[in-house]
Amino acid sequence: MKTQESMPTTKVERSAKFVKTGFQIGGNYIKHYSKKIFNPALSRDELNEDNASDIYNSLSELKGSALKIAQMLSMDKNILPRAYVDRFTQSQYNAPPLSGPLIVRTFTKSFGKTPEKIYDKFNIKSTHAASIGQVHEAELNGKKLAVKIQYPGVGDSISSDLKLVKPFAFRLLGMSEKELNIYIAEVEERLLEETDYVREVRSSIEFAEACKNLNNVVFPTYYPELSSSRIITMDWIEGLHLKEFLQSNPSQEVKNKIGQALWDFYNFQQHELRKVHADPHPGNFLITKDEKLGAIDFGCIKEMPDDFYYPFFSLTSTDLFEDKEKTIEAFRALQMILPNDSPAQIEFYYKSYKEMISLFAKPYVTNTFDFSEEQFFEDLYTYGEKVAKMPEFKQARGVKHFIYINRTNFGLYNILHELKATVRTDTFKPHV
Amino acid sequence: MATAIQIKKGYVDYVLTHNEQPKSVYSFVKKLKISEADFYAFYASFESIEKNIWFELTVETIDEIQKQELWLQYSAREKMLSFFYSYVELLKNHRSFVIYSLKKHGKRLATPEVLAGAKPIFEKFAEEIINEGLETGELADRKFFAKRYKDALWVQYAFILNFWMDDDSDGFEKTDEAIERGIQVTFDLFQRSPIDNLFEYGKFLTQHGKLKEKMGF
Repeated sequence: MKTQESMPTTKVERSAKFVKTGFQIGGNYIKHYSKKIFNPALSRDELNEDNASDIYNSLSELKGSALKIAQMLSMDKNILPRAYVDRFTQSQYNAPPLSGPLIVRTFTKSFGKTPEKIYDKFNIKSTHAASIGQVHEAELNGKKLAVKIQYPGVGDSISSDLKLVKPFAFRLLGMSEKELNIYIAEVEERLLEETDYVREVRSSIEFAEACKNLNNVVFPTYYPELSSSRIITMDWIEGLHLKEFLQSNPSQEVKNKIGQALWDFYNFQQHELRKVHADPHPGNFLITKDEKLGAIDFGCIKEMPDDFYYPFFSLTSTDLFEDKEKTIEAFRALQMILPNDSPAQIEFYYKSYKEMISLFAKPYVTNTFDFSEEQFFEDLYTYGEKVAKMPEFKQARGVKHFIYINRTNFGLYNILHELKATVRTDTFKPHV
Repeated sequence: MATAIQIKKGYVDYVLTHNEQPKSVYSFVKKLKISEADFYAFYASFESIEKNIWFELTVETIDEIQKQELWLQYSAREKMLSFFYSYVELLKNHRSFVIYSLKKHGKRLATPEVLAGAKPIFEKFAEEIINEGLETGELADRKFFAKRYKDALWVQYAFILNFWMDDDSDGFEKTDEAIERGIQVTFDLFQRSPIDNLFEYGKFLTQHGKLKEKMGF
C-alpha cells in the first residue's frame, strides 16, 4: 500500500502503458480466434506479428530503461533484426533536464557546497543528456571540465521497469519465467551498476590506466575528489561525435585510423583485460582534432569469466570447427546445446550455431577486414531475421554472458560499418 | 528565568522520549524546574510550542534560500523548487519531531492545527513568487484562477511533507524526485497552455456568434 502511495506518477503512467498493451494483445487474440472460426487454416504467424509490433510500439513509447531492457532481451536472438538495429542507437533515458535548484541540491548533498563554490565556473544549464543523467560544463584552475549529474531515482525506476517488462518479455520471446529470470537478473545487475557513479569513476581510471599504451585512444582525467555517487567530474574532451565527424568528410586514411583505434580498444579489453566497456554506443566516443579516439562513459562493464571466455573464443579463433565432437562440447559448455536435447536437436543446433558463429567471426578469419562491406551486414541481418522466425530459437539458449558480449561486438561492428573503416583484425588475438 | 528556547527544547525532548504530550503544563514545568508563569509568558499551550516550531522552520528556510547567490537569477518555478529542497534539507535535522507532530494529526485532509502558523507565511511567500511570475509573463494570468495558484502550492506543501515522512529511500532521494516532478507539473499548469487558447477561441466564437448565421450553419 505504501509503495503505491509513494511512487511518483510515472510508474502509474508506465503501468498504464503496459495495461494498454495488455488490452491490445488481448484484442489480437480475439481477432485471431474470430478469424479462425471462418478460416481454420489460419496460422499463428499473423497473431505473433501483431503481438510483437504492439509490444514493440509500447516499449518504444516508454523509452527509458524499459526500452533498453527490451533491446537487450532481443539480443538473445544473437543477431538483431534490422528494425531493432535502427533504434539501437537511440536508446536514451528520456528525462526532462534537472532544474537548477535540484542540481544545487545534488551538490550540497554530496559535498556540502554549491557548484559555484566547488568550481571556478559552472554552467547551470546542461550541455547535453547522458544516458541516465546530464552533462554540465565547468572550469577549475583554467581547465575545462565535464560534470555528469545523475537523475534522482533512476536505480529504483530500473528495478520497477524490469518488473513491468517481464510478463511481456515472456510473451514476446516465448520464454518461460525460469528461463528468462537468468537474463533479467544479468540485465538488472548491469543496469544498476550503471547508476553507481563511484564505481564508474573507479572503472574509468582503471581502464584508462590499463589502455594507456594503445595507439590513438585517449581518455579524460577523472577527479574522484570531485565525484560522488551522483556526480562525476572529468576533463572536457574537445571533439566530434561520430555523425559530426563523418559529416566533415574525413579521408579514408583517417577513418581507418579511428576504426583501428576502436578495434584495438575493444579487442585489447576482451583478450588482455577480460572485461570490456560494454556500451559501444556512438555517443560514448569522440574524435579529437588530432585524429584520436576519445572514450568516455565506463558505466557498463562486462567481465568475462574463464568458463565463458575459453569455450567462446576457441569457437571463433581456432580450427575447433574442424572437430565436431569438440565443437559440440564447447556448445554444451556455453549452454547452446542443453543436456536434455535429443540427437536430432543436437544436430540442428550444432549446424545452426556453427553457421551463426562462422558468419559472426568472419572479420577474424582474415588479417584485415573491410567493414564498409554491405554484403556482410546484409548477411547478418538476413540471418538474424531468419533465426528470429525459427521456432527452435524461441527457447532460451546460451549462457547469460552472451547478452552483453554480443551487444558489445555487434555495437563495435556497427560503428565500424558506419565509419566504413578497414582494420587489421589480428592486432590482439584471443588467448586460447 | 527560563527562555523560550529552553522550554521548546524541553518540550521536544519530552514528546520524543515519551511519544506523547506531557500530562499537564504543571507536571511539565515541574520537571523543567521553572514556574508556570514562565511557561505562559512564552506559550499559551503545548500546541502553540509546536505551531511555533513549524513557523520557525518555514521562516528559516525562506531566509536561507533568499541569501543564495543564484536566487535572483531563478525563475518563479525554480524559486519554488529551491524552497522545497531547502525545506526538506532543514527538516532532516528535525525528522523525529516532524513525524511525531504530524502523525498525531492522522491522515485527515484538513490542514493540521500545528501548521496553522506556517501556512500564512508560506502562502505569503508563494504569493510573492507567483506575482513575480505573473509580471514576467512566466505564469498565465487567468481570471479567478490566478488567485488560487497559491492554494495549489499549499497542497504541494502538504503532499511533499507527507511523502517525505513515508520516504525510506537513501538520502530521501524519492522526495527529491517527488518535489522535482510535482512542482514542475504544478507550474506547467500555471503556464499558458492550449487550454487557454481553446478557452479564448470559444470566447471569440460566442462574441462573434452572428458569424454562424451568416455562414448558414
